[in-house]
Amino acid sequence: LPTGLSQWFPALEVLDVSGTGLTEMGTELLSLPCLHTLLAKNNRLGGPGSLPKGLGQAPLARSLRVLNLSGNRFSEVPPALLQLRGLRSLSLGGNRLQGIPPDIQELHSLEFLYLGGNFITAIPPELAKLPSLRYLVLCDNKIQSIPPQLAQLHSLRSLSLHNNLLTYLPREILNLVHLDELSLRGNPLVVRFVRDLTYNPPSLQELAGRTVKTRNIPYTPSDLPESLVRYLSLASNCPNPKCGGVYFDSCVRQIKFVDFCGKYRLPLMHYLCSPECSSPFSSASQSSTSQSESDSEDEASVAAHRMQKVLLG
Amino acid sequence: DMLVQRANTLYFRYTRNLVDNGNGKFNLMILCWGEGHGSSIHDHTDSHCFMKILQGNLKETLFAWPEKKGNGEMTKKSERVLRENQCAYINDSIGLHRVENISHTEPAVSLHLYSPPFNSCNTFDQRTGHKHKVTMTFYSQFGERTVC
Repeated sequence: LPTGLSQWFPALEVLDVSGTGLTEMGTELLSLPCLHTLLAKNNRLGGPGSLPKGLGQAPLARSLRVLNLSGNRFSEVPPALLQLRGLRSLSLGGNRLQGIPPDIQELHSLEFLYLGGNFITAIPPELAKLPSLRYLVLCDNKIQSIPPQLAQLHSLRSLSLHNNLLTYLPREILNLVHLDELSLRGNPLVVRFVRDLTYNPPSLQELAGRTVKTRNIPYTPSDLPESLVRYLSLASNCPNPKCGGVYFDSCVRQIKFVDFCGKYRLPLMHYLCSPECSSPFSSASQSSTSQSESDSEDEASVAAHRMQKVLLG
Repeated sequence: DMLVQRANTLYFRYTRNLVDNGNGKFNLMILCWGEGHGSSIHDHTDSHCFMKILQGNLKETLFAWPEKKGNGEMTKKSERVLRENQCAYINDSIGLHRVENISHTEPAVSLHLYSPPFNSCNTFDQRTGHKHKVTMTFYSQFGERTVC
């Protein structure tokens, strides 16, 4: 950036330096107190000096609303960027990102986040701590699974997941009630019932814990060692409405299909307390696959009905 | 809010903006595609469809019609990237297509001519070939925002 920029244009609000071959943006940025939009796409940014030191203390940290760094060479989200507390819109599309830092949650005003076209393999659950996030783009990456916590993004209107490596989605995704759009094409979503998920038999501690919980055996903190009191408080309820059981660490991961009125079949991952729970109607028969496949009286289908307009392509 | 919208996209998916309805004989519209925006696989309800790229690039992927009793992945016939000022044509006898802006940095704008005009078509699930009729809407008409 040219020296003297902030002296010549102290009231600068929008700066577009896209396509100029920049390799770093220097300290001139720190003296622009009114800058709310910075567009620097298609440059050569990505190295250590890309963003100036002291960004967190500059007026920019509070004034900047929009930052577009798409089409550069960032292999990680620069830590300095996470100090831009006022940021509403961030694009890092078409870079070389391998992951998303958990500290992304520091950008608590973020509404729009574009991370398409990178090499991201996993999503940190901390991403779900962005309360205003409305538009999240993760297409064209290498993502293998979505953390169920993402369902806590109550403001989310649009989620772009196309062209990744997803084989299933967490069941909790149906909780995103404000979601208007969801793109899933180009993922190797399983199309047939998958039954071979490994099941580690429960430990004696787990079996005892389940019994205490399901039979409502009363206990007080003075009855048990603190570690066991804590353990018992971590019981999860089996989502199978016909079961009512609990589990701790040992559970079956099962893929259940949610049928959107015969148009799309989405594989959603459930956690169940035992293999028997996966087929509540059958009496331990092996051929219950077709039963489960066509079972659309699942409570999930109610939420699914809400989402059927949401799917794109 | 306005700042966010102006610098990025005003919308969450591509928008269809009607320009001229040719006394009922055709629809002429401008489609605005943000980064990463794409359409579903769709047919063209027995109409002629011309498309010209006004800005940016769009990838067109052609698909064969799914078999009547088929229940598997749809067959991709070809794909190409259309550059600025390039034109494309399709109708139902040629096949089905998906159009997408695969750029993560540039929006794209295209001009579409449909004759006769139509406001519903079928979209197809690429994994199964199942089709689903949809009604198409306009984001704006003759410069005025359409409120649904």
